[in-house]
Amino acid sequence: MSGLIEIQLLNGIVQGMIYALVAAGLTLIFGMLDIPNFAHGAFYALGAYVAFTVVSSTGNFWLAIAVVPLVVAALGLVVDAFAMRRLARAGHVYQILFTLGLVLIVQETIVLIWGANPTSIDVPAALGGGVPLGAVSFPFYRLFLVAAAALVIGAVWFALERTKYGAIIRAGIDDPEMVDCIGIDVQRLFTVVFGIGVGLAALAGALILPIRGGQPSMGNELMATSFAVVVIGGLGSYLGAVVGGIFVGLTQAVMTILYPAASEVAIFAAMALVILIRPQGLFGKR
Amino acid sequence: MRRFAVLVAIVALAPLVVRYPALETQILTFGLLAVAFNLLLGEMGFLSFGQATFNGAGAYAAARVLIDAHAPLPLALAVALAAGAAAAAAVGALAIAGRGVYGVMLTFAFNEMAYYIAFQWRDVTGGDNGLRGIPRPDVFGIALDDPTRYYYFTAFVVLLAFAAVLRVNASPFGAVLRAIRENEDRARTIGYRVRRFKIAAFAISGALSGLAGGLYAELFRFVPLQAIDLDTSTNVVVAALLGGIGSPYGALLGAAIFVVLSNSLSHVWSHWPLLLGLVFCAVVLFFRSGLWGLVDRGKRRAAHV
Repeated sequence: MSGLIEIQLLNGIVQGMIYALVAAGLTLIFGMLDIPNFAHGAFYALGAYVAFTVVSSTGNFWLAIAVVPLVVAALGLVVDAFAMRRLARAGHVYQILFTLGLVLIVQETIVLIWGANPTSIDVPAALGGGVPLGAVSFPFYRLFLVAAAALVIGAVWFALERTKYGAIIRAGIDDPEMVDCIGIDVQRLFTVVFGIGVGLAALAGALILPIRGGQPSMGNELMATSFAVVVIGGLGSYLGAVVGGIFVGLTQAVMTILYPAASEVAIFAAMALVILIRPQGLFGKR
Repeated sequence: MRRFAVLVAIVALAPLVVRYPALETQILTFGLLAVAFNLLLGEMGFLSFGQATFNGAGAYAAARVLIDAHAPLPLALAVALAAGAAAAAAVGALAIAGRGVYGVMLTFAFNEMAYYIAFQWRDVTGGDNGLRGIPRPDVFGIALDDPTRYYYFTAFVVLLAFAAVLRVNASPFGAVLRAIRENEDRARTIGYRVRRFKIAAFAISGALSGLAGGLYAELFRFVPLQAIDLDTSTNVVVAALLGGIGSPYGALLGAAIFVVLSNSLSHVWSHWPLLLGLVFCAVVLFFRSGLWGLVDRGKRRAAHV
């Protein structure tokens, strides 16, 4: 028995890191750009499928990890430039509705290109095998996933909070006109943030592919959980998204041991509890 | 008033012209869902992704009392209405704790929660297999075993509910909802208890959705898990928007088109959601008043000539 619980908890952290990546992108795009991106899960799914194509045609997983966020972010930028800015004046409701239409388009395009059946790839050979853990062993790839996600999350945080470009972006959000006057193209900065946010979701999709495979509806299922994550962590808070993601992953894992039937419901119950006790979320500002 | 008379005439004549009473009944129940959604978005300005929660609550509640207690149909529908209202009041009270996007996300997340509860609670909902074997009792001595008869029963209930929505929209209560939509802070400053009005609007919308769920459960004498899933919620959003959220007639029109298209196009081209998504995005970008807005505009232009 001992060892199994540890493995379950580790699995919770693995899943939690995926949630953290996705929710960090979601909260970045909303918190910084004031764009509610309900198609965020669709970009996650696209990330998985583009990774599938790269891996099955080149056999190179590393290439997929590098290329996928760029390709999907480029797609996101088209959406941002074409629709989101146009809809900014119409308000959040219409931005949400547009991204809802986008979900339909992306999901059906996935079925059209890759088929409705689940796809999967093998764990890359270099990351195969397991790490002994008591009587059992834990897949090495999953540890790699946790490390890679943590690295990227940390790098994005560092870039935004500790570099000159990050300072310019934050200044552009606080006072776009002023930054514009200094001679900086604010729209271009925002485009970069949107690209980073979408890229994080796509990377999460690529990373989860060797573990879970891809299904056309994978983004929809993730979306509701991501919302719970950002509500728990605090909408707009980067740290909140990361902590919330890991918390939700662990909650699911623990509930799977204690009472599997309620493992999904528990997340949303936790969300309801946070709303009642601390409406701004654990790390949110009021 | 004239519009409502036209609607009644269309609903009364539809099965005589096109003989698909089951499909037409589905249009009516889905239409009621869209109208209930429109009360929140069109009048109050709240985008709800929770309509399937209320629909499912009503469907399961009605099915349960019909199966377990052999309740008469009107009573079962009253139970559905109450269950929908209760679910919506609870979701609404939590969802409006956050403003704007936050609230929208909460309705979305709670719908997923409701889905998982229904999925797991097999004794009550039948889980993945759905809830089967729902009896269809006579109503006041009239047998409803024939699809056309059930259509007319549904039509009677839905038109009654639709009239109630028109009444609500025209009432001072409806005016307060629109005031909240236009400027929530101002409505609060004037002295309206905005929170109470919002929860009340949720409850009314939920009651109508629950009623629609009850009618739907009795239509196929079966409640599938889809009755409560997020896809149903988003379908309602899409249908209402296509029809036009400026009016309950628009929402109803959108629902009718949505049901007909999804039933016919899905046989012709299995990837039709792609087309739906493209059209929907175009509507959001360029025709925000939807199909009904075009009809209205055309009429106004005709009146000017």
